[in-house]
Amino acid sequence: MAEQPFPGTALLAQVLAADNTETPPLRTTRRGSQPPARGTEDGKPPPLLSRRNSILSRRSSFGMVPGSRRPSWMLHRRVSFTGLPIFQPILKTRLENTYRIGPDKGCKFDAERVRRVLEGTLACALGTAAYSPQGSAPLAQSLTELLQNQAKEVVPPRYKLVCHVVLGQQGQQSLMVASRGLWDPETDNFASATFSNASLFAVATVYGVYFE
Amino acid sequence: CPPASFLVDEVSSIIKEAIEGAIGGNAYQHSKVNQWTTSVVEQTLSQLTRLGKPFKYIVTCVIMQKNGAGLHTASSCFWDNSSDGTCTVRWENKTMYCIVSAFGLAL
Repeated sequence: MAEQPFPGTALLAQVLAADNTETPPLRTTRRGSQPPARGTEDGKPPPLLSRRNSILSRRSSFGMVPGSRRPSWMLHRRVSFTGLPIFQPILKTRLENTYRIGPDKGCKFDAERVRRVLEGTLACALGTAAYSPQGSAPLAQSLTELLQNQAKEVVPPRYKLVCHVVLGQQGQQSLMVASRGLWDPETDNFASATFSNASLFAVATVYGVYFE
Repeated sequence: CPPASFLVDEVSSIIKEAIEGAIGGNAYQHSKVNQWTTSVVEQTLSQLTRLGKPFKYIVTCVIMQKNGAGLHTASSCFWDNSSDGTCTVRWENKTMYCIVSAFGLAL
């Protein structure tokens, strides 16, 4: 996760240092004199072009011919020794330590609240649904996503959620759903709800695990 | 130390062993189902902890009698995709289906 300096910039720094020491100050004053709006436009008025020629001719190693039109990126952006543009490196943000090892007081996973949310959502979503072999698979998937979104709203922050739904056809069979978790019992918990009608049954479980 | 990752193959083999050990050659019996699910889940969990990785685990087991009815399971998770993972194993014999899901959440 450490930020690596972009290799191109190191090379450019070397090239600039090795180059005429007079040029850096000249470049900055030239940039200051140009209006800020000319970020990427291509048209250059002739008087500015002559000024640019004087710097660029000094840098003959860049392979530029005096008097020719430069593309806008060569004049306004940093250029490597090959003449190609160097884009600014994308810096990865490093998050600071929060020094928190547990959830705030009163901010734990509220199993009862989540259970009520699950029951309500299941009744709403499956109230009139009937089991069908093709339709029930996407129904189960959409149900998990729906339940997860509902649970996210009532669960405190810094909790990871796992939402598991079992949807089956109501027949004369028996079924057992069991689960076990290895977690911190003080901060982590789960909630489950069931729903059944004449043609299908559903068992939904949401586990909330604290992430430190 | 480098952050550990959830290796699906490793976990999948652990789950398969646990299922075979608990209900391997048995036929569905309503009275024993409770005990079977418990033993599958406990066996899986203890093997997972033996891996010694900095993870919190959740193991779910569904055992259903084969009676012509259809069954679907689905799960969705709100977590960190780069470090957390899940593994689901479907097993069946002549009289029952068994679906075991294991979720690992990195600390």
